[in-house]
Amino acid sequence: MTYCKRILAWLVFLAGLLGLLLLASRICIPKNNDSLSGMEQARANGILAEPPESIDILVLGDSEAYTSFSPLLLWKDTGYTSYTCGTNSQRLPYTKTMLERALEKQRPKLVILETLAIYRPIKLDSIASDEAAKYLPVFRYHNRWKDLHWNDFTTAPITATEQAPYKGHTHNETVDPCLNVDYMAPTQEPAATIPLVNQYYVNAIQELCEDYGAQFLLLSTPSPVNWNYARHEGIAAFAQEQGYEYLDLNLENVGIDWTQDTFDKGDHLNHFGAVKVTKFLSNYLRGKDGLIDHRSDPAYGDWNDKLKAYENLISH
Amino acid sequence: MLSFSSYFSSGYLAVYLPVCVLLYALAGQRGRRVVLLLFSAVCFWAVSGKLIAYLLLSTLSIHHFGLWLSDVQDRSKAELAAAPKEERKALRARAQTHQRWILALGLSIQFGILLVLKYSPFAVTNLNNLFSALGLSYSLRVPRFLLPIGISFYTMQAASYLFDVYRQKCSADRNLFRLALFLGFFPQVMEGPICRYGQTAHQLWEAPPLRYQNFMLGLQRMSYGLLKKMIIADRLNLLIKNVFTHYENYDGIAIAVAAVCYTIQLYMDFSGTMDLAVGAGQIFGFQLPENFQRPFFSRTIPEFWQRWHITLGTWFKDYIFYPLSMSKPLKKLTSKARKRLGSHYGPLVAGTIALFCVWVCNGLWHGSAWSYLFFGMYHFALILLGNLTQPVTDKLTGALHISRTSLPYRCFQIVRTGLLVCIGELFFRANGLRAGLAMFERMVTASTLEPLRNGTIFQIGMSRKDFFIVALLLGAIFVIGLLQERGIHLGTRLAQALIPVRFVVYYGVILALIIFGAYGDGYVPVDPIYAGF
Repeated sequence: MTYCKRILAWLVFLAGLLGLLLLASRICIPKNNDSLSGMEQARANGILAEPPESIDILVLGDSEAYTSFSPLLLWKDTGYTSYTCGTNSQRLPYTKTMLERALEKQRPKLVILETLAIYRPIKLDSIASDEAAKYLPVFRYHNRWKDLHWNDFTTAPITATEQAPYKGHTHNETVDPCLNVDYMAPTQEPAATIPLVNQYYVNAIQELCEDYGAQFLLLSTPSPVNWNYARHEGIAAFAQEQGYEYLDLNLENVGIDWTQDTFDKGDHLNHFGAVKVTKFLSNYLRGKDGLIDHRSDPAYGDWNDKLKAYENLISH
Repeated sequence: MLSFSSYFSSGYLAVYLPVCVLLYALAGQRGRRVVLLLFSAVCFWAVSGKLIAYLLLSTLSIHHFGLWLSDVQDRSKAELAAAPKEERKALRARAQTHQRWILALGLSIQFGILLVLKYSPFAVTNLNNLFSALGLSYSLRVPRFLLPIGISFYTMQAASYLFDVYRQKCSADRNLFRLALFLGFFPQVMEGPICRYGQTAHQLWEAPPLRYQNFMLGLQRMSYGLLKKMIIADRLNLLIKNVFTHYENYDGIAIAVAAVCYTIQLYMDFSGTMDLAVGAGQIFGFQLPENFQRPFFSRTIPEFWQRWHITLGTWFKDYIFYPLSMSKPLKKLTSKARKRLGSHYGPLVAGTIALFCVWVCNGLWHGSAWSYLFFGMYHFALILLGNLTQPVTDKLTGALHISRTSLPYRCFQIVRTGLLVCIGELFFRANGLRAGLAMFERMVTASTLEPLRNGTIFQIGMSRKDFFIVALLLGAIFVIGLLQERGIHLGTRLAQALIPVRFVVYYGVILALIIFGAYGDGYVPVDPIYAGF
């Protein structure tokens, strides 16, 4: 075979492969945004089913983001609509993917990034596989071969209908106290280093927010297990250098009682801790540019229904 | 940093290897050598960091001791040639002793590093246990060392080089870089195959230009390895992990299924890795030795070990078994035993002693734990039992008119050997010898068919569909193996097939890997098992 024929054969082969992968992606992609349909991170992806341009505040990050902050309590206090797209051990490339997905339908006024994800190491090859999965979802949803139905071959990709009941938050009233309460004492330790790849992703997320006219806030939620003064100093220096707004609730007077407000010895906050954090944030965010109280707007009546269901759950 | 913890990581497959191949293709012969050396160093560094110093130390050490041995050999040859006949015997003996000392010194550096890094924690822990059993309050601090990747593999290669120079099977290499490439060639440094200097050193250094046919054959071989690892080995991981970690919660039949699954996983993981190593070598035009020849077609345990981890088996045979059985004391023992016990059992005595040493080494080579030693002793016992009962078996099959070459008898032997191997692997994988014994006991005494009847076996980490896809691919691998046994190699035939046929097969393999591969959410790929040894 001549050199040119060989190159041509390779080009035809690769084009055919791309076509097959696109076809496989179309078949494997979930046809709704719930876990029964095979959607990954269905709670966080509940954002896809929210009415267009209805969310004012988007909270991104890992499990700290969805345990520490309750959108329905913020609604109750301020009338601001919010959603937390936090997922377990979220890494920044996925944070960016979640933001991009949310921005397809939403125009938030404020995007909050929980800072623990900023310190989570990112492997370059996981970036590559994440990027590949964006364009060819078969890499992410390949395991759906076990659950394929006839409509997977005939229906067009995602029609999101499933809303998460607590707007991405998880409710947990278990108490498992934490003894390490002096975790934020200033030390001589140097500030924690943020890897360059991670810095790149935070900046990319901020630029995306800027493109869509959203303000950007870095937020550290209380967690003796995951946070310390060196980490605070690392984020504070980075935020100052980049001109980002930064709020560390580990140093603020939020009123967390570590004997009551955590369900796993200080790793995450429970419901009681989340109430205090949300209360503090309500006061902090009240009156911020562009945020509007929608409580009297009938278009947002569903939020009141959801709040009622949530309060029923709490009272039980 | 690109993760490069195994040959299956995307960092290796999508970046390291393609970039290396590209640079290799663009470079001239010298450049190709530099590319191979550079990438070998970078890959080792990416996995083990500063521990690359151990590899460098091993390389420098065998370079030095090889040259020293060669120097002594040359001098003794010259002296022998010049010496009068009556002095030659004494001279030869003196030179032999001198060389033995050099060899011992060189080997003690190689094995010394391995012993200290890999075995000293095990030795100290056992010493402490002994102290406590004797009622002594004294205890030693258990040392903890980081092990460079592939130390058990490259140490064997380094030692084989010294042995071969000593035996004058190869001449000492003056080129340090050629030796460095022989020890650290990146597709094989983590898990072998354990190559001999005569097999690979010169062809690696030759660094032939890239050829399209080799490139395609190499890719084919690597894809086959990926199928084995990603679809079978990684998929079986959840079930194996669950049962071996909490065996007390499971029925004996689940433990038996897990033991079989682990044996399959180990084979798919290790032989898949070898496919990647040999395939990568093939891309560059190198012929690395094969480590597997369809071991589950073996009819006996000795045959199994001739087909499983072949390069380790031949290493033990060449450098432990033969030297021991040919040593003067064992030769004497053989001739005495032959007179007393006859021509079958007589030679067995010395052979058994040598075999025992081989299996102690084989067990401990896999890891510093009693369970590995037990694994070695288990296979030693099986081989010994086979040797001892052979005359009886011969008589019995003759008396019963059973043809030993008939298909049913061969199938019986293959199944029996497979089951014995699975039992051995149960102890090999168990979390310690006690757990292994408890699992075996549970498997024998507490097995019911209930988990199969009520379907709970499909809730341990693998669904029916997972089992189905594993069975399907195992079936395909079985057929490919069967054809290979008959000398038909599908890979070579495929390379000669029409383009549309090739395209269909390649598309099928790539789509199978992407769709049925056990990666992403819900799966934890098994760490390369043999890289830990």
